[in-house]
This record gives sequence, structure tokens and C-alpha cells, in this order.
Amino acid sequence: MIQTIRIGLLLREAVAAPYRNLVTRPTGAAVRNRIEATLADSNCLTALLDFSDIELVDLSCADEVVAKLLLTVRTAYFVVLQGLREDHHEAIDHVLTHHRLAVASVPPGSRAPRLLGWVPADAREAFTCISEGGPLDVSGLCHNLDWTFSRGREALDDLAVHRLVQPVGQLYYPIQTA
Amino acid sequence: MTRVIEVPTHFDDRSFDTFAGGFGEWPPGEKVLVDARGTQWASPYGLIGILTAGQALAEAKREKPLLTVPTSDEVKRYWARAGFFHEAAELFELHGKVPRGGATGPSDVLLDVTPVRATEDVHGVVHKISEGASRILHGELGLEMKATLRFSMALSEACQNIVEHAGTGGWVAVQAYTFRRRLGRRVVVIAVSDAGVGFRRSLESAHAKRFGERWGDGAALEAALIQNVSRFRDPGRGQGLAFIKRFLDQWEGKISIRSGTARLSIVPPWDEDVPMNEHLPHFPGAQVQIIIPAQEAKTR
Repeated sequence: MIQTIRIGLLLREAVAAPYRNLVTRPTGAAVRNRIEATLADSNCLTALLDFSDIELVDLSCADEVVAKLLLTVRTAYFVVLQGLREDHHEAIDHVLTHHRLAVASVPPGSRAPRLLGWVPADAREAFTCISEGGPLDVSGLCHNLDWTFSRGREALDDLAVHRLVQPVGQLYYPIQTA
Repeated sequence: MTRVIEVPTHFDDRSFDTFAGGFGEWPPGEKVLVDARGTQWASPYGLIGILTAGQALAEAKREKPLLTVPTSDEVKRYWARAGFFHEAAELFELHGKVPRGGATGPSDVLLDVTPVRATEDVHGVVHKISEGASRILHGELGLEMKATLRFSMALSEACQNIVEHAGTGGWVAVQAYTFRRRLGRRVVVIAVSDAGVGFRRSLESAHAKRFGERWGDGAALEAALIQNVSRFRDPGRGQGLAFIKRFLDQWEGKISIRSGTARLSIVPPWDEDVPMNEHLPHFPGAQVQIIIPAQEAKTR
């Protein structure tokens, strides 16, 4: 089950003004607290954070909203971003790389997510393979990418640790985005 | 007795130290008169530097300083249009005729002299800048469209430094003009200044120890701008300046930060500044200047 959270709405509640710029740490912290409160009342497995009403995301807010949320909810939810423009990616990618975190982002008009932030190169390749081709086990991934078994397992373990794929039995599923 | 501090004829980051030196020991014991009668031009950095001096004197509970306004009508009009007199009237006893109101229509002043005291002010600044910034950065300077958002991010981070670290308020101003002498190109300049505790005191408790005897204004600036450290233990802190440096490098831009008795700059190839200036005359708080030049045809 997916819980869609409109960041623009939370921003307007947090600053009590019609601004569309997600800037400053206190604002970011207030928005994150609202996201956490929403998730606490939800039995969803995936939180889809919708940035489509947002004009600007600065570094401080990227850190407060996305990085700290990933650090907080790491074991509880899958977090996916949507509605991000190319220039939003830059700030979020920068802070996540700094923390060695990663998140999936669904570009507008697409269902195939891309990765923002830092994961090892093999994990990134495995993510693309599973996102585009559907669920795979370690052997299937290694067959598709011509990898050794241990290399494939390590890549999938990395993705699972970052909550970027959903392990079910032997299979690793792409995160649900719709 | 009154201490007269002359505002340089051409008042920018280069002549700022002359202005700062006029105050002597901080805070000066005498009543202060800031004399701008002979000033022919002031950058945003210069204008908010004057306000910072006024604020620092007020916070040191010194007698309200005097400010004689420029003699030149053109200069006065420009200062009025930039919102300088509106803010200065709170901090100085103004002497001389001050033009009323501001100009209308398109202007090179992207952001008036604007006080930054709280988080809400940063929201206001970023909201206000967005439209004009695109016109200047993309239309005049030839930067790609996404530059506008990077620019707004830089502005946001620079203003937040006041709210989070200064311990008092400050000002920001943004202007486009032609850098004739140094560059021969149009530039956009962000100037941010506060009268707060400065980088050395802000970072002292967390970082002074590892610098040992080297610790001072210069070392504190180095820690913040080169090593990206913050006074907060939060590992997510200190990324704002790192990000600003990254895109300034791409655009051959310049950032310089003056705090206390030192100024540290990331110097682009077109500028002849030295990276570190120490033993400058003391000035309260911190002053940041970001310069983004028009892109030459080859880099567009």
C-alpha cells in the first residue's frame, strides 16, 4: 500500500504562507515532522513524497526533509520521491551522497525510478536491472548482468539495506511506485 | 569628541578595509560620524557594511552614530532605490537630504537591502528574488536556466548562516552591474553581512582545539569555507558552502568571507585577489560576497 504525501501542502501548513520554496532548516524539520506524523497514522509500506508543488529545494531542506527522514524511517518504510524537477535532483543528490544514503525518484511521466544519492556502482546497476525488468533472485540478476553469484548477492544486499528493493523470499522486487 | 569615518569614494570589498580601519578598536569609545558625502559609488557589500557598523554600535549600546549622506544626487537616488536609507534611518541620525521613495520599473537592484533576522525573512528573500534572478542570470549573464535555482539556493544558504550562526540579525542585497575594471563583464553580486559573533567565536568551542595556536579569524574561515565544518555536531551541516563553491567553480564565480580580522576568498582566474588576508582592521560579525560573472561565449 502506498501513502502519497504532498510536500507542498505540508510546506504551506508549516510556514503558514503561500510560499512554494522549501528552504531553511526549521522549515525542513517542520515538514519532516509532519511527514513522520502522517506515516505514524498510516499502515502503508511505501511513502511517496510528491514534490510537484515545490519550486525550490535548498540544501538545508534537502538534508532536513529527505536525508533525515531516510535516517529515521530506514527500517520501517520504503520512501520514493516523485514530482522532482531536474534542479531539485541536484540538492537532494548532493546531501544524500554526503550521508551515503540513496532514494528512488520517479521522474514526471515515467514509472521507472532513478536513484539519487550514493550506492556502490554494482548496486546502482542492479537497481536499474530490477526496476526495468521486474523481480529477480540473485541467480537471475547474475545471469542478466553476467556477474558472479557473490557480486550479485552483494549488490542486492546493498539495495536491500538502503530500502531500494523489497526482498520477498528469494526474490527482490522493485519498490512499488503506483 | 566625535570619530569621523570616511566612506571611500568607491566603496566595495576592496576599499572595505579602509572603512573598517576608521573605527579603530571595537567598539569605538567616541561618538561616530560616518561621512559618505564624497562617495561616488557603493557596491551592495559596501552599503550593508555601513548598516552592519550601525547595528554593531547599537548593540554595543553606543550613542546613535551620525551618517552624512552622499552629496551626489545620482548616488543618493541609487542608495534610496536600493532601500539603504530606509534601513539606515533606524540605525543612524541621517544628515543631508534623502530622496523619497524608490524607483519604479526594471532595475539592476535584484534585491533591495533587506533585513534578515529570522527564518521567515529567508523565505521572503528567496520568494522575492526568483523572478528577477531569472531575467538577469539567464537573460543577461548567459547562464543556463537551472542557474536561477542554484543562485536562489546559494542566497538561501548564505542568509541562513545569519539566522543560525550570527546570534543577531543582518542584511542581504543583490545587484547586477558591470565590473569594468576587474573583469569587463556584467556580474551579479550577492552581499550578506551581519554584526554577530563572527566565524571564530561561532566555531571556537567545536574546532579551536585541533588548530592549536593557529586558531584565529583566518583559521576559522578556513575551517568553514575549505573544510566545510560547522559548529553543530549534526553530520548534515556544513554542506551549504560546499555546494556554493562547487557551482561557483563551474561559473568562474568568486566567494569571499570576511570575519573579524581576516578575509578568505576562493579566487577565480579573472581576479587578482589573494586567497587569505589576515591582520586586517577588525570589523564585527561576518561579511559574505558572492560574484557571478556573465559567461563568455565559449562557456555558454
